[in-house]
Amino acid sequence: MLPHLINGISLGILFGLLALGFMLIVGVMEVINLAHGSLFALGAYVAVEIINPGWLGDAGTTYMALPLAVRYGLALVIAPLVVGVIGMGLERLVRRTYGKKAEYGLLLTFGASLVIEEGIRIVWGPGEKSLPVPEGVDGGFMAGELIYSKYRFFAALLGMVLMALVWLFLEKTPYGARVKAGAHDAEMVRALGINISRLRLFVFAMGAALAAAAGIILTPIWGLRPHVGVDAVIPSFLIIVLGGVGSFWGAVIAGLLVGVTVGLTGGYAAEWSVMSMYLLLILVLTFRARGLMGKKSALEA
Amino acid sequence: MSTRIRNLVIAAAIGLLGIACNKKTDGAAGASGSGKAADGKAPILIGITADASGQYANSGDSDKRGVIMAIEEMNAKGGVMGRPIKYVHMDTETTPATGSRIAERMIKQDKVAFIIGGVSSGVANAVSQVAQKYGVIYLNTNSSSPSEAGENCHRVKFVWDGNGNNFSQAAVKSAIGTFGKKWLLVTNDYVWGHDTAKATRKQVTEAGGQIIDEILVPQGTRDFSAILLKLQQKKPDVVAAAVGGDDLKALRAQVAQMKLGEKFAWINNQQDWPDIYGLPRTDLFGVFGTTWYQGLDLPGVKEFNAQYLKANADSKIKTPGNVFYNGYWATRALLEAVDKLKTTNNRALIKELEQLKLPASVRMQHHDAFMNPATHQLQQTIYLATADLKSTAPDDLFKILSNTDPSQVVDKEADSKCKLEPLESTPVYEP
Repeated sequence: MLPHLINGISLGILFGLLALGFMLIVGVMEVINLAHGSLFALGAYVAVEIINPGWLGDAGTTYMALPLAVRYGLALVIAPLVVGVIGMGLERLVRRTYGKKAEYGLLLTFGASLVIEEGIRIVWGPGEKSLPVPEGVDGGFMAGELIYSKYRFFAALLGMVLMALVWLFLEKTPYGARVKAGAHDAEMVRALGINISRLRLFVFAMGAALAAAAGIILTPIWGLRPHVGVDAVIPSFLIIVLGGVGSFWGAVIAGLLVGVTVGLTGGYAAEWSVMSMYLLLILVLTFRARGLMGKKSALEA
Repeated sequence: MSTRIRNLVIAAAIGLLGIACNKKTDGAAGASGSGKAADGKAPILIGITADASGQYANSGDSDKRGVIMAIEEMNAKGGVMGRPIKYVHMDTETTPATGSRIAERMIKQDKVAFIIGGVSSGVANAVSQVAQKYGVIYLNTNSSSPSEAGENCHRVKFVWDGNGNNFSQAAVKSAIGTFGKKWLLVTNDYVWGHDTAKATRKQVTEAGGQIIDEILVPQGTRDFSAILLKLQQKKPDVVAAAVGGDDLKALRAQVAQMKLGEKFAWINNQQDWPDIYGLPRTDLFGVFGTTWYQGLDLPGVKEFNAQYLKANADSKIKTPGNVFYNGYWATRALLEAVDKLKTTNNRALIKELEQLKLPASVRMQHHDAFMNPATHQLQQTIYLATADLKSTAPDDLFKILSNTDPSQVVDKEADSKCKLEPLESTPVYEP
């Protein structure tokens, strides 16, 4: 039981990380970003190029002499920034749907997800790619009689760090306060002289960057292919609904709950492991329609 | 939750359902081939049912390319019966319901002469049921579930891939002797996985081995950590995995990451080339089966590889692989039969294909291949391979361990289960 529980918790942290960018955008902007999965995949592809920049040719020899851990670290910073900029471009398009029916934003981001995925297919091809991880966290380690993946725990640690950074940003910085205020009452924030358009641009970029970071962290586990984003967007959506739309802690707790549920069913009734997260959603929403923490949103002042 | 948010969530759920179930919703016809118009005769239209999205999108693309190369090759010779060959491709989306719908449309609306293509067994089965209803010859090029030439066989359907039973027979006996008798099955929870696991179970039991457990893996599983933990707790000698498509890719990545490939002997039923192309060879753990490999040292292979490269310069996959090979050979054999008989009459062609014999020297395999008239499955060489860890050439990923004559790995169970519809009761179809 204990190994499966520990495994479930590590999986849950990764699920929480997966939903973080999704939560931020829907919480602040009330836009369900269906391109979240494609941005997740794009982040991983950009990271592969940063880690192994074959396009640099001979000029890349010096760079390639750097330890893999350094290149991985650079990818973890630069790729989310690149995808964040693309997220800004996407926000400029989504901007046209503000104040209109919610379905417009949904359709636009759905279209964007298809464009990004096809773009990935054109640039990198339809085949499988491998995102290398530093040697130090590759392989397994023994605990008792069992081998655990080092990378999985490293990924969970990275996930916790990212979650903590987002929480600190939202709760402890003046800009985070503006973000939350903007989510709560955009008109009042505008009346106070805060540039709400710039604020939304920034939040969307941050959401996209978080999706990319999740992609870099998770694709060494899931494998990397152009449509891997579909694997990301569905659990992300499920987690934010389960946790309560727009709630930071809701997303974190729902992620953990889903992880533990999937981990335990995987260990004892694997054929139910995928289904279990949907059953959990049905169970929770039956008794609490707004999700676990739908009311007590971090974005409500 | 505000009304706006609630509406948004409902709309998003519908949108996500769309993404998950129907990634390419257009289902539109693909480009037509460049058939030479000969004496103004009507072209022969081939419907290609290859997955372009979903679990088997990569293999579907390779399958489609194989079919098209055979068509173009025949068109370059002037077509068949003086008629150019054209094709229409639709995405079957790795979804049986889509396969049925597309087959209906291809036959009733596009008036295709033949339907070719299949990677997912569920899709192939669905397409073949429709094809049988109208009498349209269907070539299941690449789905390897034993049921395709067993209980789901049809008079109009011809199966071109080796099946799970063939691969199990090639692998099990030697693996029990080499690695041990305690086997654990990891099975994809759908028709191909179950059929393949059943075949493996039978082989293992008959050879004196023991199945200590079977772990069912739902399609769409991306996290195998719990399964890998359970597997370690069970301590098997051999793990026989019948996991396919993207699920296998995720499993492979996680096994490689934990270095579990070396802890157990892994028998991975079949390994399709598009699924592993571009991966580090260290991810290719265990022993796996295939029907063909472009590194075989046989006459014609180099030329075939060059022909592939020329015809598929736009493909990121630079070597043909087994899926392409099966698509190519199925199409070529059918078109050669049409050309030989000078008819597209389905009954005449079915009789011809039932007697099909393809010499090893032509097929670029080690043993002659022939169609089993009782099951409509092509009996062919079964290769066992493992990763070639010594080679540095990027596409030399496999090391072929053995080649087995088809007579040694006959799927006798399929013979007893397959009840082909009588030819006389199959509707006449002559486009």
